[in-house]
Amino acid sequence: MMTPDVPSVLSELAGLLVRNAAPEVPDAERASALGLSSMLLALAAEVWDGAAENLIQENRALAVLLDDKASEASLRLSALRAENARLRARLIQAHVAAERAADAAREEAIWAELRASTERRKLSVSPV
Amino acid sequence: MSHPLEPRLAAYIASRLPNASEVAVSALERISGGASRETYRFRLSYREGGQVHDRKLILRRDPPASLIDTERRVEFEAYRVFHGSSVPVPKMLWLEEAHDALDHPFFIAEELAGFQASPQLLFAGGYEAVLPKVAERKWTILGEIARADPEGLGLTPVMEKPPLDAAWRRELDHWEAIFDSDEAEPQPIARAAIRWLRAHPPPPARKLSVVHGDFRTGNFLYDEAGEIHGVLDWEMAHLGDPLEDLAWGFNPVWEFGRGLAGGLVPQDRAVQIWERASGLKADPAALHWWILFNCVKGQGIWVGSARAFIDGGNREPIMVYPAWWLLNAQDRAILKVMGRL
Repeated sequence: MMTPDVPSVLSELAGLLVRNAAPEVPDAERASALGLSSMLLALAAEVWDGAAENLIQENRALAVLLDDKASEASLRLSALRAENARLRARLIQAHVAAERAADAAREEAIWAELRASTERRKLSVSPV
Repeated sequence: MSHPLEPRLAAYIASRLPNASEVAVSALERISGGASRETYRFRLSYREGGQVHDRKLILRRDPPASLIDTERRVEFEAYRVFHGSSVPVPKMLWLEEAHDALDHPFFIAEELAGFQASPQLLFAGGYEAVLPKVAERKWTILGEIARADPEGLGLTPVMEKPPLDAAWRRELDHWEAIFDSDEAEPQPIARAAIRWLRAHPPPPARKLSVVHGDFRTGNFLYDEAGEIHGVLDWEMAHLGDPLEDLAWGFNPVWEFGRGLAGGLVPQDRAVQIWERASGLKADPAALHWWILFNCVKGQGIWVGSARAFIDGGNREPIMVYPAWWLLNAQDRAILKVMGRL
């Protein structure tokens, strides 16, 4: 659930590594580019294994909350992310409706899911 | 091997120093970390009035697409008016808003050399004894920025003056529009925070102040004694409620996981220092509003950074790291400030 998505970043890093292999790149710029790339690769490695499971869990939890059905027609991360975006857009509407109706129980259920969503996405280097 | 920008930069500077000869730029290197401007340090040498001059300078150039889109004239003027005051800033030299010389607008300033900016280094252990001093200086300087008179400084021609009771709305409108234009996926937590902020507006600003806009640990230069020698990164400077500036540093992501304001001291202590220096009182409810606002603003910046990468305007890793590192952390910060975590 990283944004920008991991494949597009890895693809960019592949090009960056090739460019920085060239001898004319100034040392300080190469050091900076490689240092930052290293940190990104570490974060990509951290989320890789759990990404599909987290998305499926979250989509199913959202579907229950919204009385919807989470599509699992494709288990590609891109398809699961698109479904996640659809369901989270619906969650915003449901949240607004609960606030307008002063439905405290419904609001609390939505906040609980939002809390859980940040636990699923939490990185080892998260400052909060 | 010399950097390809060096001869172009030398030609530009030579045009600004008509009495100088032998103008040369060397040792130009990009400094890591800048996501809203490309920042380079370099050495300038030239002969003028029978003397050879050798200066360490900084070039800040607009990137193709930025984490934060702002006018470089505003940033330049903010630095310029505070130079020589109790708010330490580098001296500005030249502002170039045309694209001819270096492909993008830029400005050149004196380098404040020999100091550190890294929060990681500050919190690595070697500076533990001076952290209270850093805090004292940090919030004293911020209080002095709040105390300054924007009119007297001459900033009103370049910075819009919002009415005191509309400063909050202007800022919230601006950052909500960033979500509308830039978010790559729905942001249910930030949107809930924005609804709460609109439903519970803060009182009018007590005065109109210069707001640095990004005054946090990491954006000032410090030394081993805990003294602060330069406040940097004024690209989000504007006029507004001084509590906005105080609250930005209380965004929980800037605690760096240490449970202290700015990673330095308890929040109450920081407020106390700021109140003494600014001569203002920080109403707790208003401050809470501005802290939550700044969590939303932070998320707007990380969302914008991701968008710049996705759209291809800027594919550098520095555009990805803040988004990956902070998008979820900022959501957690919002939940924390709203009492939901």
